[in-house]
Amino acid sequence: MSELLRVENVHALADDKQILNGLNLEIKKGETHVIMGPNGAGKSTLDSVIMGNPQYKVTEGKVFFEGEDITALKADARARKGIFLSFQTPEEVPGVTLEDFLRVCRRNMTGQPLKVFAFRKELKALMDDLDMDPSYASRYLNVGFSGGEKKKSEILQMLVLQPKLAMLDETDSGLDVDAVRVVSKGIKKFKNEDNSLLIITHNARILENLDIDKVHILYNGRIIKTAGPELIEEVNTNGFANIIGKED
Amino acid sequence: MNKNTGLSVNHLPVLTWNHIGINEAQFPETELAEVEFDACYEKSGFGKEIAEIFDNIETGMGAEAVAFTMNHCTNPIFIRVKEGEKKVIEPLKYTFADGAKVCDVTYILAEKNSEVSVFQSYISEDDTASYHAGLTKIVALEGAKVTLIQTQLLNDSSLHSNDLGIKIEDSAKVELVQAELGAKMDYVGCMALLSGYCAEFVADTIYYGDEKRKTDLNFIARHTGKKTVSNMKAKGALFGETDKVYRGTIDFINGCKKAKGDESEETLIFSDKARNRTIPLILCDEEDVVGNHAATIGRINENRMFYLMSRGLSENEVKELVVRASYESVLSRITDEEIRSKVDSYLERRMIIE
Amino acid sequence: MASSKDKVSEVNQSIYDFRYAENASYKTDSGLTEDIVRQISKEKHDPDWMLDFRLKSLEIYNSMTIPEWGPPIDGLHMEDIVTYIKPNTDMKGKWDEVPDDIKDTFEKLGIPQAERESLAGVGAQYDSEVVYHNVKKEVEEQGVIYTDMESALTGEYSDIVKEHFMKLVPPTDHKFAALHGAVWSGGSFVYVPAGVHVDIPLQSYFRLNAAGAGQFEHTLIVVEPGAYLHFIEGCSAPKYNVANLHAGCVELFVGDGARLRYSTIENWSKNMYNLNTKRATVGKDGIMEWVSGSFGSHTSYLYPMTILKGDNSKMEFTGITFAGKGQQLDTGDKVVHIGKNTSSHISTKSISKDGGECVYRGEVTITENAANSRSSVNCDSLMLDSISRSDTIPAMDIRNATSDVGHEAKIGRISDEAVFYLMSRGMSEEDAKSMIVSGFAEPVAKELPLEYAVEMNNLIKLEMDTRD
Repeated sequence: MSELLRVENVHALADDKQILNGLNLEIKKGETHVIMGPNGAGKSTLDSVIMGNPQYKVTEGKVFFEGEDITALKADARARKGIFLSFQTPEEVPGVTLEDFLRVCRRNMTGQPLKVFAFRKELKALMDDLDMDPSYASRYLNVGFSGGEKKKSEILQMLVLQPKLAMLDETDSGLDVDAVRVVSKGIKKFKNEDNSLLIITHNARILENLDIDKVHILYNGRIIKTAGPELIEEVNTNGFANIIGKED
Repeated sequence: MNKNTGLSVNHLPVLTWNHIGINEAQFPETELAEVEFDACYEKSGFGKEIAEIFDNIETGMGAEAVAFTMNHCTNPIFIRVKEGEKKVIEPLKYTFADGAKVCDVTYILAEKNSEVSVFQSYISEDDTASYHAGLTKIVALEGAKVTLIQTQLLNDSSLHSNDLGIKIEDSAKVELVQAELGAKMDYVGCMALLSGYCAEFVADTIYYGDEKRKTDLNFIARHTGKKTVSNMKAKGALFGETDKVYRGTIDFINGCKKAKGDESEETLIFSDKARNRTIPLILCDEEDVVGNHAATIGRINENRMFYLMSRGLSENEVKELVVRASYESVLSRITDEEIRSKVDSYLERRMIIE
Repeated sequence: MASSKDKVSEVNQSIYDFRYAENASYKTDSGLTEDIVRQISKEKHDPDWMLDFRLKSLEIYNSMTIPEWGPPIDGLHMEDIVTYIKPNTDMKGKWDEVPDDIKDTFEKLGIPQAERESLAGVGAQYDSEVVYHNVKKEVEEQGVIYTDMESALTGEYSDIVKEHFMKLVPPTDHKFAALHGAVWSGGSFVYVPAGVHVDIPLQSYFRLNAAGAGQFEHTLIVVEPGAYLHFIEGCSAPKYNVANLHAGCVELFVGDGARLRYSTIENWSKNMYNLNTKRATVGKDGIMEWVSGSFGSHTSYLYPMTILKGDNSKMEFTGITFAGKGQQLDTGDKVVHIGKNTSSHISTKSISKDGGECVYRGEVTITENAANSRSSVNCDSLMLDSISRSDTIPAMDIRNATSDVGHEAKIGRISDEAVFYLMSRGMSEEDAKSMIVSGFAEPVAKELPLEYAVEMNNLIKLEMDTRD
């Protein structure tokens, strides 16, 4: 299978603090990867760097997407290439409705004019799948959404935009059991053999229905261990202490 | 300005409609012997360079008030806290009797990484009409912390002006805590210049208006340094035929990137004859800042009133409780027992809610 | 993306910026003298009381000083301003009869088209006089009067005009009100009889075509008890290198239980001094609603004022001001609570960009008698760069113990996080910012009739476009 994402020896700073220290990661088309690691290990920084958040400065190393060096690209260009990030705490944007926003995004991605009614129908079906009240479509983007609704709004955006690589950052945190189920269903619906997932999580629940190819342990800004899905079980039982201990 | 009406003070940093009557205020002058202030610097030991910094500090009441107070000040106080030193200054208690007229000047210099706390109290001992014009200037050098606590309980025939000019340098912090509760005319002006990187200014002021008291307040936080932070709060209750003006300005000057300014006022009005004028300004010519101001004026929030009455308090008890609660943050800072008990009995005596 | 005009169609700035050669039948000399005022009065066949009124106003004008608190108006030289330009046509009731150059102007601005689509009546003023007025028959049959001020002044409604004219905004109010009293011409008169509900809006459009001219139209609206009206005002002018002046006056009388909504999208050219006075008085249980968008002009002084005279009367003000390069827009709102249980709500947004300066200047007064009144004020300011400026100057004057007044103001910039979030969804930085600004303005847009909301969005896009 062909390569989708390659992170090569990336060093990155946030607020002048070194967060990533020579990180390497490769994801092939169709794969699902999981990143685990203790707090402060650099998990969210990795997502942000792949998405191109200007608050993180890449001082060394490169990021390739479908073989192309995207290290210098801005976030919008990366999004149009098919990278998506589900934010831990999505921004609230007053005055812009969720529906209008998604319509603009979709048209941006495809470059095609949209049929308003067809799109509305599609959106309604997706929202039904996510147990989202249809009234959210006409509410302002994320404004006053509960934690759960914000997560669903992120998953909805992913389903509408159909990226090649979706990065889900702690998408299950703060959700009750039913909401986790709905979100996992959304992720499952999204996943096919042409697209890839990179999931950051503390929690195994969201992974239950997914076929996981690789699990990475991120610590001190580097990936210190990579293995198959069995690693999740190990972390859940024994924590990170063992793995980190070996590293030190 | 027309000298017949007194000193022109408490200027609004930018003008608005004249008919509102808040572009400036007038504070009376009084007959006092003139003095040469510059001579006083000699005993301060400040040296020319430091004296110049103090001379250049702008105040909230403005140049006319500064000139008057300095030209008639008999006993200026110079406080200098050396690098790294921590000091609590012996309370400065001014007691007024027999129609005393006083102009007092206090300069506080907090050197690098020093800490100092200063307490000023103004109290009447009898019913005679006294006159007080105070000027306090503060320079907080790098990393210094200055706390100034002021209480004012002059009688109903006395005039009081309290003028402040503050300069705050890198990572320094100045905190101002004020209880302005008495006098016939209670005028306060405060200008804080946040010139240093990460300089911080906090002001917590309570005022009390009753009978025919005229309260006129002018607070300005001017941000020129990057990442500077100001937070100004004023709270008060108005009774009788009192007339109160509050001007609060956050002034973001171009270049003060990442500065943050907050300002809030809460005024409770208990009389249909009282008048409250509030003008909270934000002036801004820098993009990368955050400024907020909020004012709530009028009666006690209905939900709060209902909640407290449902717990068995009468309407008047709730009012008193709410006023006292709003004063608490300032009153709790008055640690001088003598003054604190005088403040408590003053409020007990004056605050009759009916 | 090249275009993110979602609900907004592509806009062409030239729709405001074309101009035609001046083709006046009469025009005064520039400047202001008693002779000129007399000439205007004669030309307009004023009744005697109006000539007296004009001369008295001129006296007041000469005795008053210019305000010292607002943005500078040094660039305005009254001696260069032509106060009266009569277009070369009489007022028409049929669009076909309007002369071609004037007709083309309004066609380009979409006026007759708007009338056909969604308006109950339209008036169009070109320079100093109204050139076209038309009211739908069914509205006329309800007894609604919508006509130009000149006809109203001499026709069967002359008593109503005399009773109300400059009673709310007396010439003594300020220097430019006095100027207006002396040289006013044009404008509209609307009368809605008691209980009549005008379902679709009436509109006036003001176009100042001549260079170095002043427009001084007077709008007088009387909404009788229990009636309802939505009135829309649009303004534009082509750009010249010399200063133009707009010193209009709007007087609104809202009766007991009546409701008036007054919407404005102002897009004067950037050489205009817009010193406009708008005022409303509201009777018992009446409601006054203002929607105000200020985009154009070089300098504006604009503070629509409401006097809540009757018990239980209400006022709502929603405003947006966008100051770009070279603009100083001093705008805001005033309200005076006189009746008991009155309420006001003011919500404003301002955007400063490319060195533009916005000022919110406001005044809320609650008088001693206005027991149990409420007022809330919200001001949001957005700074788009560090060469611009934004000031908030809201005054409150509260004089009783039973009222509630709340005020909140915020100032800040577009957050980097929000821009990144939108960019991560594929939007360019420019479009992300533009979307955030449109969202910021949305609470105002949603108060406007659709075609005006679209126009407003177009204006924002225009102002946000940095590609020129």
